[in-house]
Amino acid sequence: MPYPEELVAPMRKELTTAGVKELKTAADVDAFMADKSGTAMIIVNSVCGCAAGGARPGVKMALQNASKPDRIATVFAGQDVDAVKQARGYFADVPPSSPSIAIFKDGELVHFVPRHAIEGRAPQSIAQELTKVFDSVCAAAK
Amino acid sequence: MGTFHQDKSELHGITVVVDTNGPKVYVGRCDDMDDEKVILLDVDVHEDGQNGRSKQQYVERAAKFGVWKKHDRVILPRAEVSSVKRLGEMHSQLGAVATATAVAEPPKKADPKPVPAPVAAKPADGEVVALTANAQAEVKRLLALEKPGAGLRLGVKGGGCSGLSYKLEFDQKKEGDLVIAYEGFSVFLDRKSTIYLRGVTLDHQKGLQGKGFVFHNPNATNTCGCGESFSV
Repeated sequence: MPYPEELVAPMRKELTTAGVKELKTAADVDAFMADKSGTAMIIVNSVCGCAAGGARPGVKMALQNASKPDRIATVFAGQDVDAVKQARGYFADVPPSSPSIAIFKDGELVHFVPRHAIEGRAPQSIAQELTKVFDSVCAAAK
Repeated sequence: MGTFHQDKSELHGITVVVDTNGPKVYVGRCDDMDDEKVILLDVDVHEDGQNGRSKQQYVERAAKFGVWKKHDRVILPRAEVSSVKRLGEMHSQLGAVATATAVAEPPKKADPKPVPAPVAAKPADGEVVALTANAQAEVKRLLALEKPGAGLRLGVKGGGCSGLSYKLEFDQKKEGDLVIAYEGFSVFLDRKSTIYLRGVTLDHQKGLQGKGFVFHNPNATNTCGCGESFSV
């Protein structure tokens, strides 16, 4: 049972206004993941205050970095259920958690930030981890 | 104090590794801990040497990818606990670089000795919420003590670690309320909250390991460590 859209909309907007593409259906996810070239990132957004509340600004900060994934998208846990299920299918056998962040290179999952690595952390700290990965994975892919 | 719950421990809502003096190590979200016990939610447990992995090897894998939960709730006597650490700290130390071939294993089968979840009544067809016998008795006791003539208001409000929080208070009936009559008192729900509370059972747990009033929500896709907030 999803939340009222008016409650979730600002949480969606926080990422989409930063240039993150929203994937709302399983077909959207498949289309996004069909391009195996280069680097991609999927953020599993969530209404959770203590984890996603830090993850979204952390992602936004990280996206200011010179190196970043070629394609960036988000699915919303608990809201766009089919899209989230489909996205998790691309995370191999990583246990489901939200919020979480998956980074792919040439279609392969190369880095995963699970919920437990987000909860209780400041956005700056989350951004720091992501930019480190961007510099390592995305810059090298150019 | 917990992130959103001032009456909880500092690690409330945080995924932790609880090592024991014995062969077992637990990973789960800390609900609460004090001098007597550690309460974990959404828990996985590993025994030293299980699947050819030491406790440390298991924890390192858990720190990278998370765990597949085997138990909803586990209560560990503090005397058996040797340490409680944030799993996220270990994730940072490890760098957490995942590869498609080095991922966590999906669950095979549940541990044979799970801590049983409390048995709760379910709402009958057509009913929005149900109260167990324990919950009814406690509500009646508290109403008689604190607010004779009032009823029990159940509701939902925004906020909490998992998005929505349960509301439970003694109140008078308001216009538009859905009223559920129990012997000796009534339960009031505002119309908006009924959307989120449909199918919910309210229980009351007593004793050392109990946690007072507990909501069992079959629609919740995620619950906060304390069980006081949820998402659907």
